[in-house]
Amino acid sequence: MYEAVRGVDLDVPTGSITALLGTNGAGKTSTLEVIEGLAPASGGEVDVLGLHPVADRAVLRRRTGVLLQRSGFSGDLTVRETLRLWSATLTAPRSVEDMLVLLGLEQRADVRMLALSGGETRRVDLACTLMGDPELVILDEPTTGLDPESRREVWRLVSALRDRGATVLLTTHYLEEAETLADRLEIMHAGAIVRSGTPTEIAAGYPSTISFATVDGVPEDLAGVRRSFRENGRTTLETDALQRSLSDLLAWSAHVGRPLEGLDARSPSLETVFLSIADGREPASGATIEDGALR
Amino acid sequence: MSALSLHRILGLTRWNAVLLSRNRLAFAYAGVLPLLPLALLLTGERGTPTVGAGAIVTMLLVISLFPVYYNVLAQFVSRRDELVLKRMRTGEARDAELLLSIALPGAVSALVLSALAVPIAAAAGQPLPVNPLLYAALACAAVVMFTAFAYWTAAWTRNAEAAQLTSMPIILIASLGQLTSSIPDMPDRVRDVLSLTPGAAISDLVRVGWFGLDGTGAKETTLSFTESWGPAAGPLLVVAAWTALAVVLARRSMRWEPRT
Repeated sequence: MYEAVRGVDLDVPTGSITALLGTNGAGKTSTLEVIEGLAPASGGEVDVLGLHPVADRAVLRRRTGVLLQRSGFSGDLTVRETLRLWSATLTAPRSVEDMLVLLGLEQRADVRMLALSGGETRRVDLACTLMGDPELVILDEPTTGLDPESRREVWRLVSALRDRGATVLLTTHYLEEAETLADRLEIMHAGAIVRSGTPTEIAAGYPSTISFATVDGVPEDLAGVRRSFRENGRTTLETDALQRSLSDLLAWSAHVGRPLEGLDARSPSLETVFLSIADGREPASGATIEDGALR
Repeated sequence: MSALSLHRILGLTRWNAVLLSRNRLAFAYAGVLPLLPLALLLTGERGTPTVGAGAIVTMLLVISLFPVYYNVLAQFVSRRDELVLKRMRTGEARDAELLLSIALPGAVSALVLSALAVPIAAAAGQPLPVNPLLYAALACAAVVMFTAFAYWTAAWTRNAEAAQLTSMPIILIASLGQLTSSIPDMPDRVRDVLSLTPGAAISDLVRVGWFGLDGTGAKETTLSFTESWGPAAGPLLVVAAWTALAVVLARRSMRWEPRT
């Protein structure tokens, strides 16, 4: 049997937004399917709102809203009919008209699903997810395929959910999205969670970088620099003390009279961490978790 | 497993019926095609029981195969393909509710048409069913059996197009059975094997339950309401066995997502 996910220890605090971040194939969707009760876990423990996703499916479904990465609708029903169909399956649905307004679909209400754009279909999908007023919302790549404006609209919706006290677990491969939306990040790589914490916590311990168009004679012993390398005509310095390294570098530049073209200095970002993990430069931190726990 | 919700089943069924009505071909198969065999009632001498039995058996088979079997198979497979079912399963609807709601529009159509056949046959000079209970039970059993066959066939049907091919074996075992009454000098051993097919059991039950024909060669109505139960026991058992088999196979092989 193929093991898509092996060491996932994931804790999603109530009333927060947690983003599961990872490259394609990292195991994000497989992890969500276990939490959603669509796939059984072969080992470990899963606890969703204090319940078991498979055994307590009936109760849990009333309290959760799920958005799949890929899902489908019958093309021959209109948007409104699709929402009425979904509404008929819910114990306590919000009104179809409310959902049309919330997702900005009023103008498209009487259009058949097969005539919608990808972004519009996604909004109908999201309307279904939110129609039951869920306490726990699980979104698998909610903004993939959306234009920048719709994406910001979805961000606003997701933040509003949290502000109402809902718990949100979402996956994304947009770093910007994770950084903007999430209270906590969980970075997955090759079926395991390799980093977790707030965006600041995750970046901590990673070097800041200074880069500029390569010039000769840059001293090797600038304060705080732990590594330097040249690539595509640029020199990059990695440092643990950005301000001191930068002062030293600028002092040297002024002293010898060699300007630093295209100078760029930045604190460690999520991107730095993510790219180093994706490149395999970052080994999984800590001991391997044999059986994961999802709470 | 906790109780199913009638509210959800009816809600889902309603929209499945709407979808069916928007697909002209599927709608013709489900609502119109099954009535065509009744034209056979107009052949031969007016009111002959064997002619009536032939028409009603053919109609029941067409009902079982089109609004029920092929319709359920095609709807389920295409919705599985399009990930509609996967989406539905993330919501409150239970698996059994999804299955029932896909089957119900065809099942209702099948039962309404089976009932309509009684006055239509009467208008063509045929008698009313000798044992209406038996006829009603047969119509219900046929619906259940062919629905289960549809869900089982779906397990090894890749997509809606493939259903045209994968449905052949069931269509065949349903149609073969009618040969038992239409070929009079068939070797006994072949007849015995064929009589165990669902199609033959349906044929026997119509002949006994509606027309009171006793045995495969019978041409005249001889059985009364009470007498009809005896000869019906065998074919009823055949229908029950096939239904049980189909349900077990369908349950074991259920698949909700397209094969990747």
